[in-house]
Amino acid sequence: MLGALGLWLGAPLVSVAPNRIVPGEGVYATELLGTVLALSALLPLALVAGAGRLPTLSGLRGALALVIALLAGLPLLLAWAAQRLVTPELPGARLGIGPAWWGLLFLFLLALVELRTRLAIARLSLWGLLLPVVLVWWLALDGWLAPLALVQEFSGRRQQFATALVQHLALVGAAVGISLLIAVLLALAMRHNPTLRRTGFGVLNFLQTIPSLALFGLLLAPLAWLADRYPWLAELGVQGIGWAPALLALVGYSLLPLVRNCYVALEAVAPGVLEAGRGMGMSRRQLFWQVRLPLALPVILEGVRITTVQAIGLTAVAALIGAGGLGRFIFQGLGQAAMDLVLLGALPILGLALLVDGLLGALSRQLQQGADA
Amino acid sequence: MIELRRVSKRFGAETAVDGISLRVEKGELCVLVGTSGCGKSTTLRMINRLLEHSAGEIQIDGRPVQAFDEVQLRRRIGYVIQSTGLFPHWTVARNIGLVPTLLKWPRARVEARISELMALLGLPRDTFGDKYPDQLSGGQAQRVGVARALAADPDILLMDEPFGALDPITREELQEQLAGLQSRLHKTIVFVTHDMDEALRLADRLVVMDRGRIVQQGTPLQLLRDPASPFVESMLGGEDRGLKAAALIPVSERMVAPGAEALPRVAVNASLRQALALMLSARAPRLSVVDADGRVVGELGLPQLLGARAP
Repeated sequence: MLGALGLWLGAPLVSVAPNRIVPGEGVYATELLGTVLALSALLPLALVAGAGRLPTLSGLRGALALVIALLAGLPLLLAWAAQRLVTPELPGARLGIGPAWWGLLFLFLLALVELRTRLAIARLSLWGLLLPVVLVWWLALDGWLAPLALVQEFSGRRQQFATALVQHLALVGAAVGISLLIAVLLALAMRHNPTLRRTGFGVLNFLQTIPSLALFGLLLAPLAWLADRYPWLAELGVQGIGWAPALLALVGYSLLPLVRNCYVALEAVAPGVLEAGRGMGMSRRQLFWQVRLPLALPVILEGVRITTVQAIGLTAVAALIGAGGLGRFIFQGLGQAAMDLVLLGALPILGLALLVDGLLGALSRQLQQGADA
Repeated sequence: MIELRRVSKRFGAETAVDGISLRVEKGELCVLVGTSGCGKSTTLRMINRLLEHSAGEIQIDGRPVQAFDEVQLRRRIGYVIQSTGLFPHWTVARNIGLVPTLLKWPRARVEARISELMALLGLPRDTFGDKYPDQLSGGQAQRVGVARALAADPDILLMDEPFGALDPITREELQEQLAGLQSRLHKTIVFVTHDMDEALRLADRLVVMDRGRIVQQGTPLQLLRDPASPFVESMLGGEDRGLKAAALIPVSERMVAPGAEALPRVAVNASLRQALALMLSARAPRLSVVDADGRVVGELGLPQLLGARAP
């Protein structure tokens, strides 16, 4: 709570810059709202903290409602700041988001997670509760936040952004898809071949220890040579840089967690269940498709989840070797010292990772429930 | 009918089953009993070819098991194991319908059969049909295991320590239920256990195994009266043998004509062991034997109980 207080009063809430090049000037909450208003804005924060202390049901519910209202209020605060601080005389002026705002967002989300656990709210109803928040954010972004630097960076690159997003998703999708296919086949082969199992895990473990940037670099030479040697490969787009080494490296990194999960999942099926299935007259094929695979699926899916989240992050680095994707904005932004451009790349990557994590996690839990509920 | 002729099973240099011969008649409940590692489970698993035997011949209804397709063979033999082996991702009803579905019975017939079996095993379908195996108690799960084994109405049932993991009370309930089912269904059953009391309670024919060989076989009473070796004797419980034998003989077999005296009463279908227990607790040397309606139908004294007459 003190942290929130410190952030609110002690750190810039937003920053204003007349154009893209000049670093923005921090604006504190007290300056923006006036001391009285800024201090009275602390009231809801105190209420949330107070309600958290009294662990009654109604207290917790009240706190939850407040947190949701505050989350919805955050973009409105920005919109209001934009209205106040960015004057029409300076069309190039832009509003940066300050540490106080990010800090508050973080704190509110933390409070939301905490309250959700305490109130034991189901995932689905939480999304229902958050719907108004999402709606407000959407409206704010669409209408009132045009002077926001992040939005300006975006509107200047609408087309690029869409391409990068598609490239990113395609790379991740292809890498995880190819890896999953190889992983399942490899795991199946490993079950019957202990030598393959040992060497396979050895190689994959080794691959995992190579730093990603180094692996991209290492792939440069052989792929360039291949493209040189076989023109039809070059025609397909296989080169020392670009999507080909990125995809190869991503597949290499994705294989270990996937193979491990597939193998463990397929082996971990209770022997009594398989014995019974065989004893009742199931053929090997029936036993695999109807018993072994369905029972292994939640664990395999868990592997897909971990791998996909990892690949979404790694693909950002792949931008360095010209594979495209959202990482481009990060590196461009770093090059131009434009933090908001970095954010334009980083935030969607974060969002994608969280989204995939949530979706696949929910699917895996669903399957698990089917298995043992 | 199942017949084993000089059947052996070797795992590498080790001989798990060593030239055993055994004949299980149609409708007979044959119990293989012995300490762990004596080859009883191996013997069972050779019958449905989960293991292939190394030497000798195994016949089912006069045909060697190799003449059957192994998958088809297993579908016509019920199989129950200690860990139940129920599929955790299938409902109880779907588990029970496994073999009929494999045999491609029409859906309606499978459904009807599932309901019939669940009623037979005392698990109403309305309550249990849509549950998952994890939601069942040990006894309920094993009942489902038995129902699944009976689903396609096989002539032969193989049971590998089916009640071994259950608590004593549940185990006894299930033993009783199995005995009741068998008296109606007359399946050919091979039942493996290391629990001699269970074996004595269920067996038509008792086969004692030790180190891969059959050391003695016969009816439970034959073995109790005349154990062939100190090993069989110790398996049968040494000094408790007399009581175990008494538990297998009904009062009706030893009673004599009733007198006029009012005596402590014992049911006509009780065992001699129960009668003896009553005599001890009531301090009475003689008991009145009554039928289900409470009418006196005979009298049992200590001399009769001790066996003036052998069956």
